[in-house]
Amino acid sequence: MKLITPFLLRYIIAATFLTVLFRFFLSYFLKVDDSLAVLLVAAGYGLSMFFSGFYFGKKDGTYLPIYDIGFRFHLATFVVHNVVSALWLLSGYASAKESINQLLVSAGIWGVFLLIHFIVYLRLRKHSIDDLDKSDLFE
Amino acid sequence: MKQKDKLQELLHAWEETYKKGQLTFWIFLSLQQESRYVDEIKQFVEEQSAHTMTCEEQSLYRVLRKFEHVGVLSFENRKGNKGPERKYYFLTPLGKELFQQFVKRNIQLFYNPHIKNLINIPSS
Repeated sequence: MKLITPFLLRYIIAATFLTVLFRFFLSYFLKVDDSLAVLLVAAGYGLSMFFSGFYFGKKDGTYLPIYDIGFRFHLATFVVHNVVSALWLLSGYASAKESINQLLVSAGIWGVFLLIHFIVYLRLRKHSIDDLDKSDLFE
Repeated sequence: MKQKDKLQELLHAWEETYKKGQLTFWIFLSLQQESRYVDEIKQFVEEQSAHTMTCEEQSLYRVLRKFEHVGVLSFENRKGNKGPERKYYFLTPLGKELFQQFVKRNIQLFYNPHIKNLINIPSS
């Protein structure tokens, strides 16, 4: 069973690139103490990640309609954001206002939502064969 | 609406619903004896169904990907008679078994003499 599809991989690459950009500009504007720019960077990151997920998710559904209610993309976003952020913080590029503890707390809260998403996904899997919707498979 | 027009409209509506799901049958049928690449599958489906079934190449690829994902089809890359390497699709043992079971349960009943007799529409 192949759940890592070409469009999910492209999304992971795009998300990695966006997260690196986000961490760079966030650290920079935190260092120069520009609150408005920090807000704009965060909003821009959120929006660009959303539209990137939407774009690649739509393409992915056309390529192979995996019935996972967006769970694979959510998991990929979670992993990419937290891994890139942790590497950024541990490599010492971050500003003094960022810490690994903040990242762990936000990952913990996000993780709860990810877990709920996973439970819903597992429940819906009953309606699928190898993650493809039964009612759509022989359409 | 004239009776003839109504008949045509009803026929089209019924056929539209009836044909949904039929593509699977024709794809399996095309791969029953030999592996084929997409163009050959398309040609087989259209010719053997007397052009009552048509399929776009893109939607055919999408269907084949789904079947490959659930393990009823697989493919191997081979050089065609002309041109570049192509994906030759074939039925897996699971796909063959699925097709046989489907035909047994849904198609063979039309060979029942009683049903055949009922279907036998008099020529007008």
